[in-house]
Amino acid sequence: MTPTEHAFSQSGILAKVLTGYSPRQAQIDMALEVERVIDEKSSLIVEAGTGTGKTFAYLIPSLLSEKKVIVSTGTKNLQEQLFYKDIPLIRKALATNAQIALLKGRANYLCIYRLDLYARERGQLDAQMLTDFVNIRTWANGTSNGDIGELVNVAEDSSIFPFVTSTIDNCLAKECPNIEDCYLIKARKKAIEADVVVVNHHLFFADMALKDTGFGELIPKADVVIFDEAHQIPDIASEYFGESFSTRLILDLCSDVLQQYHTELTDVKQLSRAAEKLQRTAQEFRLLFSRDPERGNWREKIKQSRFAQLFSILKVDIDFLYQVLKLCISRNEAIDNCFERAVNILAKYDLMANVEVNGISFWYETTRRHVVLHITPLTVADKFSEYIKQSNAGWVFTSATLAVNEGFNHFSEQLGLESAATLLLESPFDYLHQSQLIVPRYLPDANHVSRAQSLADLAIPLINASQGSCFILFTSYRMLNQVAEILAEKTDFPLLVQGQMSKRLLLDEFIGNDQAVLLATASFWEGVDVRGDKLTCVIIDKLPFASPDDPMLQARSEDIRRQGKDPFSEIQLPQAVIALKQGVGRLIRDVTDQGVLVICDDRLVNRPYGEVFLKSLPDMRRSRNITQATEFLSALHQNS
Amino acid sequence: MNTHVMFYILEQENTSADPLALVKLHVCIQAAHFYRQNQRVFIYTQDQEQAHAIDELLWSFEPDSFVPHNLIGEGPKNGAAVEISWQAPVNRRPVLINLTSTVPHFAHQFSQIVDFVPSDEQLKQLARERFKGYRQLGFKVDNQKIGQTINAEKVIDDAINN
Repeated sequence: MTPTEHAFSQSGILAKVLTGYSPRQAQIDMALEVERVIDEKSSLIVEAGTGTGKTFAYLIPSLLSEKKVIVSTGTKNLQEQLFYKDIPLIRKALATNAQIALLKGRANYLCIYRLDLYARERGQLDAQMLTDFVNIRTWANGTSNGDIGELVNVAEDSSIFPFVTSTIDNCLAKECPNIEDCYLIKARKKAIEADVVVVNHHLFFADMALKDTGFGELIPKADVVIFDEAHQIPDIASEYFGESFSTRLILDLCSDVLQQYHTELTDVKQLSRAAEKLQRTAQEFRLLFSRDPERGNWREKIKQSRFAQLFSILKVDIDFLYQVLKLCISRNEAIDNCFERAVNILAKYDLMANVEVNGISFWYETTRRHVVLHITPLTVADKFSEYIKQSNAGWVFTSATLAVNEGFNHFSEQLGLESAATLLLESPFDYLHQSQLIVPRYLPDANHVSRAQSLADLAIPLINASQGSCFILFTSYRMLNQVAEILAEKTDFPLLVQGQMSKRLLLDEFIGNDQAVLLATASFWEGVDVRGDKLTCVIIDKLPFASPDDPMLQARSEDIRRQGKDPFSEIQLPQAVIALKQGVGRLIRDVTDQGVLVICDDRLVNRPYGEVFLKSLPDMRRSRNITQATEFLSALHQNS
Repeated sequence: MNTHVMFYILEQENTSADPLALVKLHVCIQAAHFYRQNQRVFIYTQDQEQAHAIDELLWSFEPDSFVPHNLIGEGPKNGAAVEISWQAPVNRRPVLINLTSTVPHFAHQFSQIVDFVPSDEQLKQLARERFKGYRQLGFKVDNQKIGQTINAEKVIDDAINN
């Protein structure tokens, strides 16, 4: 019996700490595979259906191995759950002294230097900012690790945070007077010394792509790397292997330069001329794009002469500022920092100007005030598989939603993991009795004028039967608002509509109100955690295929077509399948959870690819009869 | 056009309250068979209720036997691989599966017709009438027994996931 086998056995350590523990074959299978992969320093891809107990299945063999382990997960919340709940439990069970560390991205740590700077220089504050600032100062006196996640009395999205945390651009690094007390450096030190480090995917890949070079690598080398929520990695990885160039970076630089001119370098008139000129051009550049925020193909845009023209003027103006800054080098630290940023911006400019390069998607997105140009590699498979090869570590990729059509190709190909072992573990839940999948009949087309009315008519009996506790998810804001308007007239259950308040507040309201109905866009779903009776009915207006307008999707599709393959079945279909599987996972989280998923898209029934969805989703009771769903929901709420 | 009619004789006793339960199941099995041969199918039913029953049954088939289908009044413009209707067809397909008690007036549009002889005496009599009717139209009519070879209860268990 291996140590892992023993840990999971009837007489093992888990049985000692968990009351009512009984060994589950799927969990043991996964744990043994993880143990083997750690031992052999190979790679494993495993889908562990909801309720398999995958967290313990990877944590136990990892801790037993007594090697250096990195666990990366999807969100900060999940990081905290691992760090404060799951790992301590296992640690206690195994009676080990393994040191654990939690490492987040730079923006999560208080910057003492910037806090002091802000305290001295802050201008006019509105009441909310002032309250937040006072709370942060009070907390700053007592915190031991500077993790702003500890702050309970300041909203996550407070506009104060950029002023009291640092970015790679404004960090003074070795020149910082507070370097001795820097929380980021402390967290990094702890991570180096720890046996188990908990990070998130964004941090992991930012670090891997060497984006955060302020202190060199943030994440230490490890013998074991485990990715939970691994289905998110291909997208996150390509994001960090790309580059971006934004007018925001330029305007931030200009305003810092102007500040220097007004305070310390008043003698260098050229500074203000160069910065003001660049400011104007950057703003004009934004005005070339349509007023409403959009995304699109940069290669196409730069073909147009007015874009090409202004873009080359931008280059001249950045160059000018660069030359002026060069003359000021060594006058003070702040201006040196500005110079480095100008160098960086110039380098990025060149990347964006060189649109002939193959294998890369060139795209842009605009916000109300800014333009961001992106280059994203179409595949990270080469880079990532090389990294793994060099790492001399064991790698585990796991999630409740990785397989499509019972296979992993779409995932392993994106990351170059073709030689990894794979394992598919079914959820122990009885989906046939716990859940229903309904595709209603005779729904009008997605573009039909009566669509919103039909959706609302369909939703009302479901909302009534479910007594609220309902999500209605849309692929467009237009449909969302139309349906919300109709429902507001027709139902007394409280409606929560995305856009009314922040996402976090919406969720808090939903959890706080048993009868609430939440209307949101489909992307809202990912990462939402609502347990038990709180959510018994989810209505989706369309299958979650990515929009064909998405420039990244267009570029990838083009690439797939060139390889002689079909972009729909290679990219869009697997993506949509995983998104829908995620959704089912949110609806049924427990052996006692019950619920109904209504998909108002009959393509699931009448297109051949319906088979792929059905083969990938858990085996829910299927029907096309909406009454089946209302009866199921009514019974559910009578019993509870 | 040379239309070929195949009558399936269901010898197995129908234990369900619905005398057509077994026929409906075989309608779906046939539809799945033709879909996998890449042949477009029109399923003609007595009424809307029956069409819904077929729709429901097809949708609950195991994913391995998935049959893309639509009811008349929904679905893609030219219909899915299998279309279910209680009205005359609006597009051309090679295969008709008939669930009604009479010979459809549009039967000649199809090159292949599947029909059934249920075990119920009264329904069997109607099937004999259809048999004659197809012959009178000059179609080639064959028959084949199913029953002993298939354990219907098991087929139902395997095919339907409830």
